[in-house]
Amino acid sequence: MHQVEIATTRQSLLDAPEMTLNMGPQHPSTHGVLRVILKLDGETVIDLDCDVGYLHRGMEKIAENRMYTMIAPYWDRLDYIAAVSNGLVWVETVEQMMGLDVPKRAHYIRTILTELNRIASHLLWLGTHAMDIGAVTILLWAFREREEILKIFERQFGARLTCHAWRVGGMPNDAYDGFVEDCQRFVDNFPKRLDEYETVLSENRIWLSRTVGIGIISGEDAIAIGLSGPALRGSGVAWDIRKSRPYAAYADMDFEVPLGENGDTYDRYLVRMEEMRQSRRIIKQAIENLPDGPVNAKVPKLIKPPVGDYYHSIEGPKGEIGCYLVSDGTQQPWRVRVRPPCFINLQALKQMCIGHLVADVVAIIGTLDIVLGEIDR
Amino acid sequence: MPLVPVPKSTFAQKLKRFFMVDLVKGMAVTLGFNIGALTDKDSVAGKGIYTEQYPKVRADVAPRFHGAPRLNMDPETHDTLCIACNLCALACPEDCIDVIPMDVEVVVAGKPRRKKVLDEFIFDTSRCMFCALCQEACPTYCLELTQDFELATYSRAGFVWNREMLEQGRETVKYTS
Amino acid sequence: MFALAAPTIIDNLLLKFFSEQTVNYVIWPLIQVGLVVVITTGWVAYATYLERKISAFMQARLGPMRVGPWGLLQPIADGLKLLTKEDFIPENADRWIFFVAPYIAVVAAFITLAVVPFGPDWAVITDVNIGVLFVLAVSSVGVLALILAGWSSNSKYALLGALRSSAQMVSYEVSMGLAIIGALMFARTLSMSGVVGAQASDKIWFFFYQPIGFVIFLISGIAENNRAPFDLPEAESELVAGFHTEYSGFRWSLFFMAEYAAMVVVTAVATTLYLGGWYFPFVYRFTEARGYHTAYVVISLIVFLAKAGLLLYLYFWLRWTLPRFRYDQLMDLGWKWMLPAALINIVVTALGIGVVQGLDGVRGMHTIVSISSGLALTPTGKIITVGIGIANLFLTAGILSLINWRSRDFNLKKQRRQIRLVDLPKGKPAVAPVETVSEARP
Repeated sequence: MHQVEIATTRQSLLDAPEMTLNMGPQHPSTHGVLRVILKLDGETVIDLDCDVGYLHRGMEKIAENRMYTMIAPYWDRLDYIAAVSNGLVWVETVEQMMGLDVPKRAHYIRTILTELNRIASHLLWLGTHAMDIGAVTILLWAFREREEILKIFERQFGARLTCHAWRVGGMPNDAYDGFVEDCQRFVDNFPKRLDEYETVLSENRIWLSRTVGIGIISGEDAIAIGLSGPALRGSGVAWDIRKSRPYAAYADMDFEVPLGENGDTYDRYLVRMEEMRQSRRIIKQAIENLPDGPVNAKVPKLIKPPVGDYYHSIEGPKGEIGCYLVSDGTQQPWRVRVRPPCFINLQALKQMCIGHLVADVVAIIGTLDIVLGEIDR
Repeated sequence: MPLVPVPKSTFAQKLKRFFMVDLVKGMAVTLGFNIGALTDKDSVAGKGIYTEQYPKVRADVAPRFHGAPRLNMDPETHDTLCIACNLCALACPEDCIDVIPMDVEVVVAGKPRRKKVLDEFIFDTSRCMFCALCQEACPTYCLELTQDFELATYSRAGFVWNREMLEQGRETVKYTS
Repeated sequence: MFALAAPTIIDNLLLKFFSEQTVNYVIWPLIQVGLVVVITTGWVAYATYLERKISAFMQARLGPMRVGPWGLLQPIADGLKLLTKEDFIPENADRWIFFVAPYIAVVAAFITLAVVPFGPDWAVITDVNIGVLFVLAVSSVGVLALILAGWSSNSKYALLGALRSSAQMVSYEVSMGLAIIGALMFARTLSMSGVVGAQASDKIWFFFYQPIGFVIFLISGIAENNRAPFDLPEAESELVAGFHTEYSGFRWSLFFMAEYAAMVVVTAVATTLYLGGWYFPFVYRFTEARGYHTAYVVISLIVFLAKAGLLLYLYFWLRWTLPRFRYDQLMDLGWKWMLPAALINIVVTALGIGVVQGLDGVRGMHTIVSISSGLALTPTGKIITVGIGIANLFLTAGILSLINWRSRDFNLKKQRRQIRLVDLPKGKPAVAPVETVSEARP
C-alpha cells in the first residue's frame, strides 16, 4: 500500500503542470518588501498568495505607550508617500474626539497641502507604474513635478517626506511667506505636464495592450472586498469620502469625482490622472479663497480625550485611511488601530491576477498602488 | 475577443492607427525634451535640465528645515540658554535626549541658593526622527534644528552628540567637487 | 590633408618590404580589419555613453558628468570596473560552454561588419557577392550564443529566459530576411556593395520604393536585438531571469558589447539596403569627378556613419519613450503582422516591377533606360514605382487588418476617456458628534 502511494505521488509530481514561483521580498517591481507566491501553469497564473509583514514595525503597539502628540510622527511613516494625509487623519480623530474647534484658515491650509500630497502620491504611482511597464522616462518627469511639491513641503513643514505636518488643534506654524505664490506657480505649470504624460501614455497602443482588460474587478466584488480610493472608483462605484463625509475644507470646494467603467488597469490609470486634475482644481479654489485668521484652536495643556472610542477616516491617495482610537482617559491611548487602505486593497490582488500572465502581475500590483509601510505598519 | 466593449472606429482613426500616430506623438514629446535639454534654460516650467549637481551646487534649504540639532547660546555672554528643564527629553517620542543637570551655588539677594543648570546634554541623532517636537517644547528657544543635513559619520558613536558638539557644531569636510 | 594622403604614403612604405600581391591581399585587409574592429569597439563603447546622455536629456537630467569632462571617460571607467570584478563560474555549470558563449555572441556581431560597405573603394573589407545572405546567416549565430549561455548557467530561470529570447529573435529573423527581398529585387544582386551601387547609379534610395520594407526591417531588427519595446526577456528578468544572469564582470560586458554591436550591424544593414548606404546626391559630382578620390571615400564614409547614427538615435529614442510589449503580444506581432506584411511586400514588389517593365513603350512612356542595364528606371518609371510603394502601404494595411480581425489587441481602438466625471451629492460633514463620547472631560 505504502509503495503504491509513493509511486502515485512521484508520478503526480512529475505530471503536475504547475510551478510555484516566488516573487520574493526583494524585487524591483513590488514597491517595497512584498512577497507574492504565484502558482503558474506555464505562464498563466492559477493561484496567488501574498506574504506580508516584512516591514512590520509595531506602530500600533508603540502608540499605546506614547502621548497623543508624540504619536503623530509615527503616522507619517505608515504610508510614507502620503505623510500629510496620514497626519491629518490622526489629528482630526483626536480633535473630533475632544470636541476642538479648528479655525477655518487651518482647514483651508490643511486642504491645500493634503491635495498637494495627493498629487505627489499619484505622481509617484504614475512614475513607478509606467516604469514597471517599461516607459522609464515618465518616472523621471513625474519626480520632477514631485520635487516642486516637496520643496513646498520643506518650506512649510521643515521636512520633505515624513513631514509631521499637523498638530492637534491646527498647525505648528502659519503658512510661510510665499506659500500662496509657490502654490499658484505649481497650479499654473501642472496641467501642461499632465498633458505631456497623457500624450506619451494614454493613447499609446502598447500601453493600451498592457493595461486594457488587465486586472478587472467588478463593482460588486470591489465593495465586497472593501476596496476604496481609485481602485474602487475605477470599477464604477461612486464613493469618495471627500464628498460623502466632508472633512477639513472639502465642504466648500467644488470638484468632481472621476469614475471608471470596466474596472481594469486602464480605468484606474485614467481615474488617477483625472484625480490629479481635480486636486489641482481644489488647490486653486482654496488658494483663491484662503481666509485670514488664527491657525490654532484652543487646546488644553494635556491632551486627554474622554473615555470611549472613535473612528474617523479620510480619503487618502490610496483609499480610505481611518483611525480607530480607544481612549481610557489617560494621556496615552488604550488602542490605536489604523485602517490601512493598501492592505485591504491588496486582498483584491488574487482575484485580479488569476487567469492573467506573469508579466501582468507586475502591472496589477502597480495599479493597486501599494505602499508596504502601510500594509505592514 | 476583446475583454472590454470597444466602439467601431472611423476611417480617420484607422489611418491614424496605421501610421502609428499615437506612438509618434509620444515620441515627439520625448524629442522635444531632448532638444529642450540642450536649449531651454527653464527647468521648472519648460523642458530644461532639472538636475542640481551636488556637491558643486549646494541644495537650497528652507529656514524651517528639520536638520541637525543645535544648542543656542546667548550672543553676548556666551552662556547656554538651556535651563535644564527636561521638557525636550519628555517630548521626544524616541527617547533620544538625555539632559543631565547639576546644582550650582548662586547668590540671590544676599542669600545663597541652589540653582539647577545644565551639565551635559546627550542627543542621539541615530535614533532621532527629526520630528521637531523637542524644538517646539523648548521654552527658551535653545534647542533648535538647523539646516544642516549632512550628518554622516564613520562610526556609530559619532552619532551620539554631546553638549560641546551641539553648541559648537561639528567639524565636517565640505566637498565642493 | 595628411590623413587623406596617408594611404598612399603607407602603401609606398609597405611596397618596399612586401610584394604587391601581399600588400594588396594580405596587409591592407588586415589593416582594414584592425581599423574596423578598433573603430567599432570604440563606437560600441561610446554608444553606451551616448545612450546614457541621450536618455538623460530626454528625462530632463544630465547623465554622466563626473568622469572626465562631460563624463566622456565614463565608458573607460565602466570597462575598467568590469575588468576588475570577480570572475566566477556557477558551481554545476558547464565550464567550457559557459566560457565560450559570450565570445560567440561578440564574434557573430563583429564578423558581419566585414561585408558592410562603409564607403566606396577601400572602405569595405571584402565584397562577398552573397553579402546579404552572409549577414543574415552570421547574425543567426548570435542566437546560438544566447541558448548556450542560458543552458550552461545551470539555472532553471536562466534557461527559460534564454529560450524565450531566442524564440523571439528567431521569429523576427524570418520577417527580417523576407523584408529584405523587396529591396534586393531592385538591386538585382546579393552583394552589399552592389546594392549601394544600384542605389548610387539609380540616384534613388530604395526607401522610396519600399517604405513598408524599411519599416518591417527596422522593427524586426529592433526585436532581433532584444531592445525596447521588445525587451521583455531581458527586462522582465526580475521574474524569469534573462540568459545573462549568471555572468558577471568581463563576460557580461562581452554580452553587452555584442548587443550594441548587433545594433550597429542592424543600423548599418538598414542604411545599406534602404537609405542608400554611402550614397548621397552631389557628392560624386564634387569629389570623384574632379579627381579627389580619397576625399570621396572619406566623405561617403561620413555620410554612411551619419545615416547609421540617425538610426541608432532612433533606437535610443524608442527605448526611452515606449513601454514594452508582453511576450505573447511580441510573438503575435512577429508572426501575425510582420511576416504577412513581408510576404505581401514581396508579391506586390514583384508585381510592381512587372507592371513597370510592362508599361515601357505603352503610350510612349519610357520607364526603363535600357533592358540590359538591370532595373535602371527613368524618372517616369521611378514615379510609378514610388506610387506602387505607397499603394503597397495601404494594401498591406488592409490585408493585415483582415488577418487580425479577431485579435484582442487590434481591437483596442480609441479607448481614451471612458471615465466619467461625477459630481456626487455632498454628505454631512464629519464633525465630532459629542453624543458618542461619555461626559467625562478634562
